[in-house]
Amino acid sequence: MEKEIAITVKDLHVTYRGLKKTSIRASWTKLNKRIELYHALKGVSFEVEKGKILGIIGKNGAGKSTMLRSIAGIFSPDKGSINLHGNTISLLSIGVGFNKKLTGYENIYLSGMLLGFSEDEIKAKEQDIINFADIGEFIYKPVKTYSSGMYSKLAFAITAILETDIMLIDEVLSVGDAKFKEKSYNKMKELISDENRTVLIVSHSLETIRNLCNEVLWLNEGELMAIGPADEILPKYQEYMDNL
Amino acid sequence: MKKFFNNIKKYFKYAIRSAKAELKSEVADSYLNWLWWVIEPLSFMLIYSLIFGTIMKRGGDEFKIFVLLGLTIWEFFNRMITGSVKLIIDNRDLVTKVYLPKYILLLSKSFTYLFKMAISFCICLLMMLVTGVEFNIYMLFIIPIVIIAYILAFGIGMILMHFGVTLNDLANLTTIGLKMLFYLSGVFYNIKDTFGNRAIFGKKIIDDILLYGNPIAFCMQQTRDVTLSNMFPNFMFLGIWGLVGILLCMIGIHLIHKNENSYAKVI
Repeated sequence: MEKEIAITVKDLHVTYRGLKKTSIRASWTKLNKRIELYHALKGVSFEVEKGKILGIIGKNGAGKSTMLRSIAGIFSPDKGSINLHGNTISLLSIGVGFNKKLTGYENIYLSGMLLGFSEDEIKAKEQDIINFADIGEFIYKPVKTYSSGMYSKLAFAITAILETDIMLIDEVLSVGDAKFKEKSYNKMKELISDENRTVLIVSHSLETIRNLCNEVLWLNEGELMAIGPADEILPKYQEYMDNL
Repeated sequence: MKKFFNNIKKYFKYAIRSAKAELKSEVADSYLNWLWWVIEPLSFMLIYSLIFGTIMKRGGDEFKIFVLLGLTIWEFFNRMITGSVKLIIDNRDLVTKVYLPKYILLLSKSFTYLFKMAISFCICLLMMLVTGVEFNIYMLFIIPIVIIAYILAFGIGMILMHFGVTLNDLANLTTIGLKMLFYLSGVFYNIKDTFGNRAIFGKKIIDDILLYGNPIAFCMQQTRDVTLSNMFPNFMFLGIWGLVGILLCMIGIHLIHKNENSYAKVI
């Protein structure tokens, strides 16, 4: 049986321009100076099969978040290509587009529509989100009156209940108090283990990666070090990190 | 271009919702609530007509309406331009976390400004009712004038929004530019009366340049002409500025499509 591919990344380069942000004066004086470039990703290629859970590891500054954001379409690659094969995608980020002066209820819609869902789709899942967030009457109060725990509970609920084919997760596995932490971890596990869903997780916690992922991609200094089954790559990575 | 219209269609509802949200949150904490949307243009009008009407002895009730119409158009342009320069940076949270066509931010903002403009026009109508200035059929031409003003402002806004990302001091420049435009556009005086009888180079060029060369002054003048002077608008120049507006929009759309995915790297 042919395996279905969900994400194809080919020769991905992403570059930050150090001096891109400039003032008018600077653009006169520094016009001819060489622009300092920072290469965050230097030609990474890989494929992810549908339904796989891929963990992305690497030390700080290895380009993990940059890669997630490129795949999510927030950055454009400077070179190379990303093909999502028509899947819907979302970067699981907490509280996107929240307006703190408005009620939590209104923010469900704001945030949800921003993630690319239609009003009707949100309406259908509205109750699930409210139930999952579990913040009681506060859902009808302005978000600025929330405790930080409540805030992340609601934000997590929105992103977790409104699901997409591909989910990108950047270190947001646990929020809220102990009870909610467990609940959100379980929900995350449930979301992730759906056979039709492809998930990419960035995390520094090897424990999390080991528990959740079946494949691991190791980035170092913007380059692909290794990709393969979790139990193969993780020991190598650990050894490498210990020797640093 | 097709991409632009598809995007607008796709995100239109979001833009409306986010505009409503912003309007709501703007007044959520204030004591007088939505009344501020009425009080603000009214008090500006009172200030200007006090200074220029009463102290400098110009016009009566009609002058108040004249000023208010001018302010209505001016404030729309002013808000669009000021609002667009820092738009991407102000929405840093959003821009770095989700993909959304960047002109949707401007679209949503522009809805809030259109709303305020509509309130301002309503106050004009009320004033006309109260003061007995006659209504006329020509006033309907305000609609095409506003549409052209919107296209122009949207085009300018997109271009400024793009350069506002990388040019730090663009905001300072636009503040100065707007100040100048404010006095040149004739918000509280009539360009024709003021410059019209002053001949330079043997001809009365200045008022023409000021009137027809500055879209803000032009839209203002046209709005006043159709409302207060029972005149047809100047269709030729409306057409020209409409075309310029469309051209600016196309440039802006092109700039944004080409660069929007890099904004997140810079801010």
